[in-house]
Amino acid sequence: MSRVRQLRALVRKDVLLEAHTKETIVAMALFALVSMVIFQFAVGQRAGDSSLIAGGIIWATVSLAAVLGVGRTWVPEREQRVLDGLLTAPVARLTMFMARAIVLTLFLLAVEVVIVPLGIVFFTRQIAPSDLALMAGVCVLANLCIAVAGTLLASMSVFSRARELVIPVLLLPALVPVVIAASGATQAVLGPGTQLAEYLGYCRFLAVYAAVFSLVAYATYDHVLDD
Amino acid sequence: MTTFSMTDTPRAGRAIAALGALSAVLLAVATFGVFLVAPEDAASGVIQRIFYFHVSVALVSMLAFMVACIAGIVHLRRGGDGSDDVSLASIAIGLMLAVLTVITGSIWAKAAWGFWWRWDDLRLVSFLLIILLYAAYFVLRGSADESRQARFGAVYAIFAFAAVPLSFYAVRTARSFIHPVVVTSKGADMPGTMLVWFLISVVAFTALFVTLLLVEVQQRRAARALEDVKRRLEARSATPTGGH
Repeated sequence: MSRVRQLRALVRKDVLLEAHTKETIVAMALFALVSMVIFQFAVGQRAGDSSLIAGGIIWATVSLAAVLGVGRTWVPEREQRVLDGLLTAPVARLTMFMARAIVLTLFLLAVEVVIVPLGIVFFTRQIAPSDLALMAGVCVLANLCIAVAGTLLASMSVFSRARELVIPVLLLPALVPVVIAASGATQAVLGPGTQLAEYLGYCRFLAVYAAVFSLVAYATYDHVLDD
Repeated sequence: MTTFSMTDTPRAGRAIAALGALSAVLLAVATFGVFLVAPEDAASGVIQRIFYFHVSVALVSMLAFMVACIAGIVHLRRGGDGSDDVSLASIAIGLMLAVLTVITGSIWAKAAWGFWWRWDDLRLVSFLLIILLYAAYFVLRGSADESRQARFGAVYAIFAFAAVPLSFYAVRTARSFIHPVVVTSKGADMPGTMLVWFLISVVAFTALFVTLLLVEVQQRRAARALEDVKRRLEARSATPTGGH
Protein backbone atom coordinates (compact mmCIF):
# COMPACT_ATOMS: atom_id res chain seq x y z
CA MET A 1 0.00 0.00 0.00
CA SER A 2 1.54 3.28 -1.03
CA ARG A 3 2.08 5.98 1.53
CA VAL A 4 -0.53 8.26 -0.06
CA ARG A 5 -3.16 5.50 0.09
CA GLN A 6 -2.28 4.80 3.71
CA LEU A 7 -2.60 8.49 4.48
CA ARG A 8 -5.96 8.68 2.72
CA ALA A 9 -7.21 5.59 4.57
CA LEU A 10 -6.17 6.97 7.96
CA VAL A 11 -7.76 10.37 7.33
CA ARG A 12 -10.91 8.67 6.01
CA LYS A 13 -11.12 6.51 9.15
CA ASP A 14 -11.15 9.55 11.46
CA VAL A 15 -13.46 11.61 9.28
CA LEU A 16 -15.96 8.74 8.99
CA LEU A 17 -15.79 8.12 12.72
CA GLU A 18 -16.54 11.78 13.36
CA ALA A 19 -19.28 11.85 10.69
CA HIS A 20 -21.05 9.03 12.55
CA THR A 21 -20.79 10.45 16.05
CA LYS A 22 -20.28 14.21 15.41
CA GLU A 23 -19.08 14.33 19.00
CA THR A 24 -15.82 16.21 18.64
CA ILE A 25 -16.71 18.99 16.20
CA VAL A 26 -20.02 19.82 17.88
CA ALA A 27 -18.37 19.89 21.32
CA MET A 28 -15.50 22.04 20.01
CA ALA A 29 -17.86 24.51 18.32
CA LEU A 30 -20.11 24.81 21.37
CA PHE A 31 -17.10 25.19 23.64
CA ALA A 32 -15.71 27.93 21.38
CA LEU A 33 -19.06 29.72 21.35
CA VAL A 34 -19.36 29.62 25.14
CA SER A 35 -15.78 30.84 25.51
CA MET A 36 -16.52 33.70 23.13
CA VAL A 37 -19.52 34.74 25.24
CA ILE A 38 -17.41 34.53 28.41
CA PHE A 39 -14.66 36.66 26.85
CA GLN A 40 -17.26 39.21 25.77
CA PHE A 41 -18.58 39.57 29.32
CA ALA A 42 -15.13 39.40 30.90
CA VAL A 43 -13.34 41.93 28.70
CA GLY A 44 -15.43 42.88 25.66
CA GLN A 45 -17.97 44.98 27.52
CA ARG A 46 -15.22 47.16 28.97
CA ALA A 47 -13.53 47.69 25.62
CA GLY A 48 -14.77 50.88 24.01
CA ASP A 49 -14.67 49.55 20.46
CA SER A 50 -15.16 45.77 20.40
CA SER A 51 -13.88 45.53 16.83
CA LEU A 52 -10.40 46.21 18.26
CA ILE A 53 -10.46 42.99 20.26
CA ALA A 54 -12.37 40.81 17.75
CA GLY A 55 -9.25 39.05 16.43
CA GLY A 56 -7.97 38.35 19.92
CA ILE A 57 -11.26 36.88 21.13
CA ILE A 58 -11.72 34.73 18.01
CA TRP A 59 -8.24 33.19 18.25
CA ALA A 60 -8.25 32.79 22.02
CA THR A 61 -11.49 30.79 21.69
CA VAL A 62 -10.22 28.76 18.72
CA SER A 63 -7.02 27.86 20.59
CA LEU A 64 -9.00 26.72 23.64
CA ALA A 65 -11.32 24.67 21.42
CA ALA A 66 -8.25 23.23 19.72
CA VAL A 67 -6.97 21.95 23.06
CA LEU A 68 -10.28 20.17 23.53
CA GLY A 69 -10.14 18.73 20.01
CA VAL A 70 -6.51 17.63 20.21
CA GLY A 71 -7.24 15.58 23.32
CA ARG A 72 -10.54 14.25 22.03
CA THR A 73 -9.23 12.92 18.71
CA TRP A 74 -6.94 10.53 20.58
CA VAL A 75 -9.71 8.99 22.68
CA PRO A 76 -10.74 6.18 20.26
CA GLU A 77 -7.05 5.45 19.63
CA ARG A 78 -6.63 4.67 23.30
CA GLU A 79 -10.00 3.48 24.56
CA GLN A 80 -10.80 1.26 21.59
CA ARG A 81 -7.17 0.23 21.26
CA VAL A 82 -6.95 1.57 17.69
CA LEU A 83 -3.41 2.72 18.37
CA ASP A 84 -2.26 -0.80 19.23
CA GLY A 85 -3.52 -1.98 15.84
CA LEU A 86 -1.97 0.94 14.00
CA LEU A 87 1.39 0.49 15.68
CA THR A 88 1.58 -3.15 14.61
CA ALA A 89 0.47 -2.29 11.02
CA PRO A 90 3.20 -1.54 8.46
CA VAL A 91 2.46 2.19 8.47
CA ALA A 92 5.26 4.74 8.80
CA ARG A 93 5.02 6.79 12.00
CA LEU A 94 5.29 9.97 9.95
CA THR A 95 2.26 8.93 7.87
CA MET A 96 0.31 8.52 11.11
CA PHE A 97 1.46 11.96 12.20
CA MET A 98 0.43 13.56 8.91
CA ALA A 99 -2.98 11.86 8.95
CA ARG A 100 -3.67 13.09 12.47
CA ALA A 101 -2.52 16.61 11.65
CA ILE A 102 -4.71 16.70 8.53
CA VAL A 103 -7.74 15.47 10.50
CA LEU A 104 -7.16 18.09 13.19
CA THR A 105 -6.82 20.80 10.53
CA LEU A 106 -10.15 19.69 9.02
CA PHE A 107 -11.89 19.64 12.41
CA LEU A 108 -10.60 23.11 13.21
CA LEU A 109 -11.75 24.39 9.82
CA ALA A 110 -15.20 22.97 10.48
CA VAL A 111 -15.32 24.79 13.83
CA GLU A 112 -14.05 28.03 12.29
CA VAL A 113 -16.72 27.93 9.58
CA VAL A 114 -19.16 28.50 12.45
CA ILE A 115 -17.10 30.51 14.92
CA VAL A 116 -15.30 33.05 12.72
CA PRO A 117 -18.45 34.44 11.02
CA LEU A 118 -20.17 34.55 14.41
CA GLY A 119 -17.19 36.41 15.88
CA ILE A 120 -17.29 38.88 13.00
CA VAL A 121 -21.04 39.42 13.49
CA PHE A 122 -20.68 39.77 17.27
CA PHE A 123 -17.69 42.07 17.42
CA THR A 124 -17.47 44.03 14.16
CA ARG A 125 -19.99 46.13 12.32
CA GLN A 126 -19.33 45.07 8.76
CA ILE A 127 -16.91 43.12 6.62
CA ALA A 128 -16.25 43.16 2.89
CA PRO A 129 -16.64 39.80 1.06
CA SER A 130 -13.02 40.05 -0.14
CA ASP A 131 -11.90 40.22 3.49
CA LEU A 132 -13.53 36.84 4.12
CA ALA A 133 -11.05 35.28 1.68
CA LEU A 134 -8.20 36.85 3.65
CA MET A 135 -9.71 35.45 6.85
CA ALA A 136 -9.84 31.99 5.26
CA GLY A 137 -6.10 32.30 4.58
CA VAL A 138 -5.39 33.06 8.27
CA CYS A 139 -7.59 30.13 9.34
CA VAL A 140 -5.77 27.62 7.10
CA LEU A 141 -2.31 28.76 8.23
CA ALA A 142 -3.19 28.97 11.92
CA ASN A 143 -4.85 25.55 11.75
CA LEU A 144 -1.71 24.06 10.25
CA CYS A 145 0.33 25.51 13.10
CA ILE A 146 -2.07 24.25 15.76
CA ALA A 147 -2.37 20.83 14.09
CA VAL A 148 1.37 20.24 13.77
CA ALA A 149 2.27 21.36 17.31
CA GLY A 150 -0.89 19.80 18.76
CA THR A 151 -0.40 16.41 17.14
CA LEU A 152 3.22 16.15 18.25
CA LEU A 153 2.47 17.11 21.85
CA ALA A 154 -0.75 15.10 22.09
CA SER A 155 1.05 11.98 20.83
CA MET A 156 3.24 12.19 23.93
CA SER A 157 0.51 13.10 26.39
CA VAL A 158 -1.75 10.28 25.17
CA PHE A 159 0.55 7.87 27.01
CA SER A 160 0.63 9.94 30.17
CA ARG A 161 -1.38 9.29 33.29
CA ALA A 162 -3.36 12.54 33.46
CA ARG A 163 -3.55 13.39 29.77
CA GLU A 164 -6.55 15.74 30.10
CA LEU A 165 -4.41 17.91 32.35
CA VAL A 166 -1.17 17.49 30.45
CA ILE A 167 -2.44 18.49 26.98
CA PRO A 168 -3.46 22.08 27.84
CA VAL A 169 -0.34 22.64 29.95
CA LEU A 170 1.86 21.47 27.07
CA LEU A 171 -0.04 22.93 24.15
CA LEU A 172 -1.18 26.38 25.26
CA PRO A 173 2.28 27.93 25.88
CA ALA A 174 3.36 26.66 22.45
CA LEU A 175 0.24 28.18 20.88
CA VAL A 176 0.77 31.69 22.25
CA PRO A 177 2.83 32.80 19.19
CA VAL A 178 0.08 31.41 16.92
CA VAL A 179 -2.60 33.32 18.82
CA ILE A 180 -0.50 36.51 18.63
CA ALA A 181 0.09 36.20 14.88
CA ALA A 182 -3.41 34.98 13.95
CA SER A 183 -5.01 37.75 16.04
CA GLY A 184 -2.71 40.29 14.44
CA ALA A 185 -3.58 39.09 10.95
CA THR A 186 -7.30 39.03 11.77
CA GLN A 187 -7.10 42.52 13.21
CA ALA A 188 -5.31 43.70 10.07
CA VAL A 189 -8.33 42.46 8.11
CA LEU A 190 -11.18 43.37 10.47
CA GLY A 191 -9.75 46.65 11.75
CA PRO A 192 -10.33 50.00 10.09
CA GLY A 193 -9.04 49.65 6.51
CA THR A 194 -7.41 46.36 5.51
CA GLN A 195 -3.66 46.57 6.14
CA LEU A 196 -2.30 44.11 3.64
CA ALA A 197 1.41 44.46 4.46
CA GLU A 198 0.77 43.76 8.14
CA TYR A 199 -1.53 40.86 7.24
CA LEU A 200 1.12 39.29 5.00
CA GLY A 201 3.79 39.71 7.68
CA TYR A 202 1.71 37.80 10.23
CA CYS A 203 0.84 35.13 7.65
CA ARG A 204 4.53 34.68 6.86
CA PHE A 205 5.20 34.19 10.57
CA LEU A 206 2.46 31.52 10.76
CA ALA A 207 3.96 29.75 7.73
CA VAL A 208 7.42 29.79 9.36
CA TYR A 209 5.95 28.43 12.62
CA ALA A 210 4.22 25.56 10.79
CA ALA A 211 7.40 24.81 8.83
CA VAL A 212 9.63 24.81 11.94
CA PHE A 213 7.41 22.43 13.90
CA SER A 214 6.87 20.22 10.85
CA LEU A 215 10.64 19.83 10.75
CA VAL A 216 10.77 19.10 14.49
CA ALA A 217 8.01 16.50 14.06
CA TYR A 218 9.76 14.99 11.04
CA ALA A 219 12.97 14.62 13.04
CA THR A 220 11.44 13.32 16.28
CA TYR A 221 8.13 11.58 15.62
CA ASP A 222 9.65 8.14 15.13
CA HIS A 223 10.88 8.38 18.72
CA VAL A 224 7.51 9.49 20.07
CA LEU A 225 5.72 6.33 18.96
CA ASP A 226 8.71 4.08 19.45
CA ASP A 227 6.81 1.30 21.22
CA MET B 1 22.74 1.59 31.04
CA THR B 2 25.34 3.87 32.54
CA THR B 3 27.62 2.09 34.94
CA PHE B 4 28.65 3.92 38.03
CA SER B 5 32.20 3.55 39.05
CA MET B 6 33.13 4.41 42.60
CA THR B 7 36.57 5.52 41.42
CA ASP B 8 34.90 8.29 39.37
CA THR B 9 33.42 9.89 42.43
CA PRO B 10 36.46 11.57 44.01
CA ARG B 11 37.64 12.88 40.64
CA ALA B 12 34.18 14.24 39.76
CA GLY B 13 33.90 15.68 43.26
CA ARG B 14 37.24 17.45 42.91
CA ALA B 15 36.23 18.86 39.49
CA ILE B 16 32.94 20.13 40.91
CA ALA B 17 34.68 21.68 43.93
CA ALA B 18 37.22 23.42 41.67
CA LEU B 19 34.51 24.74 39.35
CA GLY B 20 32.38 25.81 42.31
CA ALA B 21 35.32 27.76 43.76
CA LEU B 22 35.96 29.37 40.36
CA SER B 23 32.28 30.33 40.04
CA ALA B 24 32.29 31.84 43.54
CA VAL B 25 35.42 33.90 42.78
CA LEU B 26 34.04 35.05 39.41
CA LEU B 27 30.68 36.00 40.95
CA ALA B 28 32.45 37.90 43.73
CA VAL B 29 34.65 39.75 41.20
CA ALA B 30 31.60 40.52 39.03
CA THR B 31 29.63 41.86 42.03
CA PHE B 32 32.60 43.98 43.13
CA GLY B 33 33.11 45.35 39.62
CA VAL B 34 29.44 45.99 38.91
CA PHE B 35 28.83 47.93 42.13
CA LEU B 36 32.16 49.62 42.74
CA VAL B 37 34.05 49.95 39.46
CA ALA B 38 31.63 50.13 36.52
CA PRO B 39 30.56 53.69 35.64
CA GLU B 40 27.07 54.76 36.64
CA ASP B 41 24.57 55.22 33.84
CA ALA B 42 23.79 58.93 33.60
CA ALA B 43 20.14 58.46 32.65
CA SER B 44 18.99 55.57 34.89
CA GLY B 45 21.30 55.89 37.91
CA VAL B 46 22.11 53.03 40.26
CA ILE B 47 19.24 50.75 39.14
CA GLN B 48 20.94 50.30 35.78
CA ARG B 49 23.50 48.12 37.57
CA ILE B 50 20.94 45.32 37.77
CA PHE B 51 21.34 45.09 33.99
CA TYR B 52 24.66 43.22 34.42
CA PHE B 53 22.94 40.41 36.32
CA HIS B 54 19.57 40.54 34.54
CA VAL B 55 21.00 40.15 31.04
CA SER B 56 23.72 37.68 32.08
CA VAL B 57 21.17 35.42 33.75
CA ALA B 58 18.89 35.68 30.69
CA LEU B 59 21.72 34.75 28.32
CA VAL B 60 22.89 31.82 30.46
CA SER B 61 19.31 30.50 30.74
CA MET B 62 19.17 30.45 26.93
CA LEU B 63 22.52 28.63 26.93
CA ALA B 64 21.05 26.07 29.35
CA PHE B 65 18.05 25.47 27.08
CA MET B 66 20.37 25.08 24.10
CA VAL B 67 22.47 22.51 26.00
CA ALA B 68 19.23 20.68 26.90
CA CYS B 69 18.18 20.64 23.24
CA ILE B 70 21.56 19.31 22.08
CA ALA B 71 21.53 16.67 24.86
CA GLY B 72 18.00 15.75 23.72
CA ILE B 73 19.21 15.23 20.15
CA VAL B 74 22.12 13.11 21.42
CA HIS B 75 19.71 11.06 23.54
CA LEU B 76 17.40 10.37 20.60
CA ARG B 77 20.34 9.34 18.41
CA ARG B 78 22.39 7.31 20.87
CA GLY B 79 20.19 6.66 23.91
CA GLY B 80 21.72 6.22 27.35
CA ASP B 81 21.08 7.90 30.68
CA GLY B 82 23.93 10.43 30.52
CA SER B 83 22.45 12.72 27.86
CA ASP B 84 19.04 12.56 29.54
CA ASP B 85 20.60 13.60 32.85
CA VAL B 86 22.26 16.58 31.14
CA SER B 87 19.03 17.56 29.37
CA LEU B 88 16.92 17.34 32.52
CA ALA B 89 19.44 19.17 34.69
CA SER B 90 19.96 21.90 32.08
CA ILE B 91 16.24 22.57 31.83
CA ALA B 92 15.87 22.68 35.61
CA ILE B 93 18.73 25.19 35.94
CA GLY B 94 17.62 27.13 32.83
CA LEU B 95 14.13 27.44 34.27
CA MET B 96 15.50 28.70 37.57
CA LEU B 97 17.60 31.29 35.71
CA ALA B 98 14.57 32.30 33.60
CA VAL B 99 12.59 32.91 36.80
CA LEU B 100 15.52 34.97 38.09
CA THR B 101 15.47 36.95 34.82
CA VAL B 102 11.81 37.80 35.31
CA ILE B 103 12.37 38.76 38.97
CA THR B 104 15.36 41.02 38.19
CA GLY B 105 13.52 42.43 35.16
CA SER B 106 10.53 43.18 37.32
CA ILE B 107 12.68 45.01 39.89
CA TRP B 108 14.22 47.03 37.05
CA ALA B 109 10.78 47.83 35.64
CA LYS B 110 9.58 49.01 39.05
CA ALA B 111 12.56 51.32 39.46
CA ALA B 112 12.51 52.60 35.88
CA TRP B 113 8.78 52.96 35.23
CA GLY B 114 7.12 52.59 38.63
CA PHE B 115 5.36 49.31 37.83
CA TRP B 116 6.37 45.76 38.71
CA TRP B 117 4.99 44.48 35.42
CA ARG B 118 4.50 45.92 31.97
CA TRP B 119 2.99 43.87 29.17
CA ASP B 120 4.84 46.00 26.66
CA ASP B 121 8.21 45.03 28.11
CA LEU B 122 9.46 42.61 25.50
CA ARG B 123 11.96 40.69 27.61
CA LEU B 124 9.72 40.20 30.64
CA VAL B 125 6.82 38.88 28.58
CA SER B 126 9.03 36.63 26.44
CA PHE B 127 10.62 35.11 29.52
CA LEU B 128 7.23 34.55 31.13
CA LEU B 129 6.27 32.55 28.02
CA ILE B 130 9.53 30.64 28.16
CA ILE B 131 8.95 29.79 31.83
CA LEU B 132 5.50 28.40 30.95
CA LEU B 133 6.96 26.47 28.02
CA TYR B 134 9.70 24.83 30.08
CA ALA B 135 7.60 24.31 33.23
CA ALA B 136 5.42 22.04 31.05
CA TYR B 137 8.50 19.82 30.52
CA PHE B 138 8.31 18.70 34.14
CA VAL B 139 4.56 18.09 33.89
CA LEU B 140 5.16 15.88 30.83
CA ARG B 141 7.99 13.94 32.50
CA GLY B 142 6.08 13.61 35.73
CA SER B 143 3.05 12.08 34.09
CA ALA B 144 4.84 9.79 31.61
CA ASP B 145 5.78 6.17 32.39
CA GLU B 146 9.33 5.70 33.55
CA SER B 147 10.26 3.95 30.30
CA ARG B 148 9.16 6.96 28.24
CA GLN B 149 10.34 9.85 30.42
CA ALA B 150 13.77 10.25 28.86
CA ARG B 151 12.53 9.88 25.27
CA PHE B 152 9.61 12.28 25.66
CA GLY B 153 11.82 14.66 27.63
CA ALA B 154 14.30 14.71 24.75
CA VAL B 155 11.59 15.35 22.15
CA TYR B 156 10.10 18.13 24.27
CA ALA B 157 13.53 19.73 24.89
CA ILE B 158 13.94 20.00 21.10
CA PHE B 159 10.36 21.19 20.59
CA ALA B 160 10.60 23.86 23.29
CA PHE B 161 13.93 25.18 22.05
CA ALA B 162 12.42 25.55 18.57
CA ALA B 163 9.56 27.51 20.16
CA VAL B 164 11.89 29.96 21.97
CA PRO B 165 12.86 32.19 18.99
CA LEU B 166 9.30 32.01 17.65
CA SER B 167 7.94 33.18 21.02
CA PHE B 168 10.47 36.02 21.15
CA TYR B 169 9.58 37.12 17.65
CA ALA B 170 5.83 36.84 18.21
CA VAL B 171 5.99 38.93 21.39
CA ARG B 172 8.08 41.51 19.52
CA THR B 173 5.45 41.80 16.80
CA ALA B 174 2.63 42.04 19.34
CA ARG B 175 3.98 44.77 21.58
CA SER B 176 5.52 48.16 21.16
CA PHE B 177 9.20 47.95 21.79
CA ILE B 178 10.04 50.23 24.71
CA HIS B 179 12.70 48.16 26.44
CA PRO B 180 16.12 49.81 26.37
CA VAL B 181 17.97 48.05 23.56
CA VAL B 182 21.47 47.44 24.84
CA VAL B 183 22.51 44.40 22.82
CA THR B 184 21.33 44.74 19.25
CA SER B 185 22.07 42.76 16.11
CA LYS B 186 24.87 45.24 15.46
CA GLY B 187 26.57 44.33 18.75
CA ALA B 188 26.66 45.78 22.23
CA ASP B 189 25.88 49.47 22.59
CA MET B 190 27.71 50.39 25.82
CA PRO B 191 30.96 51.98 26.94
CA GLY B 192 34.08 49.77 27.14
CA THR B 193 34.26 49.45 30.96
CA MET B 194 30.59 48.52 31.17
CA LEU B 195 31.13 45.88 28.50
CA VAL B 196 34.05 44.35 30.44
CA TRP B 197 31.97 43.97 33.63
CA PHE B 198 29.03 42.70 31.64
CA LEU B 199 31.21 40.00 30.04
CA ILE B 200 32.66 39.04 33.44
CA SER B 201 29.09 38.65 34.74
CA VAL B 202 28.19 36.43 31.79
CA VAL B 203 31.28 34.26 32.36
CA ALA B 204 30.53 34.05 36.11
CA PHE B 205 26.95 32.90 35.56
CA THR B 206 28.10 30.46 32.86
CA ALA B 207 30.58 28.95 35.34
CA LEU B 208 27.78 28.74 37.91
CA PHE B 209 25.57 26.98 35.36
CA VAL B 210 28.28 24.43 34.52
CA THR B 211 28.92 23.78 38.23
CA LEU B 212 25.22 23.27 38.99
CA LEU B 213 24.87 21.07 35.91
CA LEU B 214 27.73 18.83 37.04
CA VAL B 215 26.36 18.62 40.58
CA GLU B 216 22.90 17.69 39.34
CA VAL B 217 24.17 15.12 36.82
CA GLN B 218 26.45 13.57 39.44
CA GLN B 219 23.59 13.50 41.93
CA ARG B 220 21.31 11.69 39.47
CA ARG B 221 24.05 9.18 38.68
CA ALA B 222 24.59 8.55 42.37
CA ALA B 223 20.84 8.12 42.96
CA ARG B 224 20.69 5.57 40.13
CA ALA B 225 23.69 3.71 41.48
CA LEU B 226 22.10 3.64 44.94
CA GLU B 227 18.88 2.25 43.48
CA ASP B 228 20.94 -0.38 41.70
CA VAL B 229 22.68 -1.41 44.90
CA LYS B 230 19.34 -1.53 46.76
CA ARG B 231 17.82 -3.73 44.06
CA ARG B 232 20.78 -6.10 44.17
CA LEU B 233 20.64 -6.32 47.96
CA GLU B 234 16.91 -7.00 47.86
CA ALA B 235 17.42 -9.68 45.21
CA ARG B 236 20.17 -11.28 47.32
CA SER B 237 18.08 -11.27 50.49
CA ALA B 238 15.10 -12.75 48.58
CA THR B 239 17.20 -15.61 47.18
CA PRO B 240 17.02 -18.72 49.41
CA THR B 241 20.45 -19.34 50.86
CA GLY B 242 20.08 -23.14 50.97
CA GLY B 243 19.72 -25.38 54.03
CA HIS B 244 20.93 -24.44 57.53
